[in-house]
Amino acid sequence: MNKILEVRDLHVTFHTYAGQVKAVRGVSFDLYEGEILAIVGESGSGKSVTAQTIMKLNPMPPTQIERGKILLGDKDIVKASEKEMMAIRGKDISMIFQDPMTSLNPTMTIGRQLTEAIKHHKKLSKDEAQKEAIRLLKLVRIPNPESRIFQYPHEFSGGMRQRVMIAMALSCQPKLLIADEPTTALDVTIQAQIIDILKEIREKTGTSIIIITHDLGVVANMADRVAVMYGGKIVETGSVDDIFYRPAHPYTKALLESLPKTDTDKNTRLVSIEGTPPDLLNPPVGCPFAGRCKYTMKICKTQMPPHFEPSKDHKSACWLLHEDCPYSDFKNPDGGGENDE
Amino acid sequence: MMNKDKIKLEPVVNDNDKEILVEIKDVSKHFKVAGGVLKAVNNINLNIKKGETLGLVGESGCGKSTLSKVIMGIYPPTSGKIIYHGKKEMVVSKNNLFEYAKMAQIIFQDPYSSLDPRMTVGSIIEEGMIIHKMYDKKKRKERVFELLELVGLNAEHANRYPHEFSGGQRQRIGIARALAIEPEFIICDEPISALDVSIQAQIINLLYDLQKKLNLTYLFIAHDLNIVKYISDRIAVMYLGHIVELSTSDELYKNPLHPYTKALLSAVPVPDPKKEAQKKRQMLEGDVTSPIDPKPGCPFAARCPYATDICTKDFPKPEIKAGHMVSCHHVEKINNLN
Repeated sequence: MNKILEVRDLHVTFHTYAGQVKAVRGVSFDLYEGEILAIVGESGSGKSVTAQTIMKLNPMPPTQIERGKILLGDKDIVKASEKEMMAIRGKDISMIFQDPMTSLNPTMTIGRQLTEAIKHHKKLSKDEAQKEAIRLLKLVRIPNPESRIFQYPHEFSGGMRQRVMIAMALSCQPKLLIADEPTTALDVTIQAQIIDILKEIREKTGTSIIIITHDLGVVANMADRVAVMYGGKIVETGSVDDIFYRPAHPYTKALLESLPKTDTDKNTRLVSIEGTPPDLLNPPVGCPFAGRCKYTMKICKTQMPPHFEPSKDHKSACWLLHEDCPYSDFKNPDGGGENDE
Repeated sequence: MMNKDKIKLEPVVNDNDKEILVEIKDVSKHFKVAGGVLKAVNNINLNIKKGETLGLVGESGCGKSTLSKVIMGIYPPTSGKIIYHGKKEMVVSKNNLFEYAKMAQIIFQDPYSSLDPRMTVGSIIEEGMIIHKMYDKKKRKERVFELLELVGLNAEHANRYPHEFSGGQRQRIGIARALAIEPEFIICDEPISALDVSIQAQIINLLYDLQKKLNLTYLFIAHDLNIVKYISDRIAVMYLGHIVELSTSDELYKNPLHPYTKALLSAVPVPDPKKEAQKKRQMLEGDVTSPIDPKPGCPFAARCPYATDICTKDFPKPEIKAGHMVSCHHVEKINNLN
């Protein structure tokens, strides 16, 4: 498979009155063609900032990319000028957002908003662009697209607006679609429809998708690979099975245990993670999870662990995986985890 | 996954085994809006039993928050009544709201907007006790410290302001405030929806412990069905202002009878890739129909894959089938019940 995106050692900070917020602190990952990568994490973990930086949507200043590379093919987005970004946004990479209510322009018809990008990037005539808009709306299963294109966003429901957003994002056949919490604002039955459409689009067009979410159910349903973020860092990456059945980082493990399963009985207590995420104004020197982790060792508080590879393509940044670490239950997650079959 | 032959006939909606605390009798709430009447809640009959957690689930706009406000006495019902059988017996009305509020309290969804930013945490918690003339000043201060410790905060937090706390801590303050006047019944209106996953379990465990310790009754409203299943004894499913199914939480998840409940449960993604891959989704097409001047008949008819003529004409009466209270014309046919 071809690599379409390569992020290397990305550092992003915000300048605020209180000081520098180090939102993303050395994030590296790869994305392959036709792959769905889920970035999971809690609010403030840096997942959305990472995604927005790929599109360079954050205003600079106050945002600053301290260092790192974002390679799209052989082009480094970090170095690209605003004019170059204009050509990339919508055409090579496009994005859908959490809130479909505010991300559409309320004063323009759906048709006009859809054809804007098509006309700009593809240089089509008005009629051709309109035909293309109808085709796209059909792709995202909007009934009667012929009449719908003359309507305004307020005449669409939340789920329909999110579908319009997806249609718009797909209008120039981007190589990469970034979906930032695309279903968080939607009801479960509508969420199921949107997830289905996203998966179908991947099948039909081969677009790679980065989905940002905090919902592990959504991840289990649609992702091929998962990156777990905590305190501005990726703490674990692996295939969806690695993450769910053989988690190799205490945070991932605790997160999975804190969710009630369908067969969790009322009398079993939920495993909760005590404490709160670290303050990124003064990020901890060592592992960001050290303050809440039940396995914390001395080194965890003073030195950030490197990425260990418990199995192929499965990486975890945790000192417990060091070959000389005396605690063994974490080192070999492939052998006899509770969820293994 | 659903084994249709094995539905056991259990009297799970038998109301006699526990005392009833809140009786919701034929309650409707309609609002006049531009373009018609918005029928948010329609003829709901529901009993909340002492010491139980009743879960109320449904999608946005189904009327679950309106119902909770009617139960709290914030909205007077258009018809029907709420009868409360707690420390005092009463039919909830405008005249006895003050007394009622001493027994029934609410915890809100958004811990950011539900605490006054200009008041210290101590005075937020104390305020209810002052209003209800409980204890003297010294005892109240002691109670504030006790409550803070009860919800997992420290006594020294009393002098701080809400903005100094994280979302999960603020939700704990909201819980302490609700507990301050020693209620028997608490409505939890989406208490964890605004919180991060790792914090949700903390709050759920806290609510569970408090229920055991203080013998509380909860009405737990949420749209996260996995959490509702975990915390509730019984669950009521709402759709467009009607309760379409009511059962014990295990039964409801194992054998959902109403087509909407089936679709809702199958739409919830579970955090398990293998189960997700195997799961057969019952995809619902379309969106929820408007509650403004709704058509007669079953509220779910427009999206239901089993709908026939009768569904668009007559409202299905709630019946007890296989231990569930369910309101669907075709419940036997869909589930192979006899």
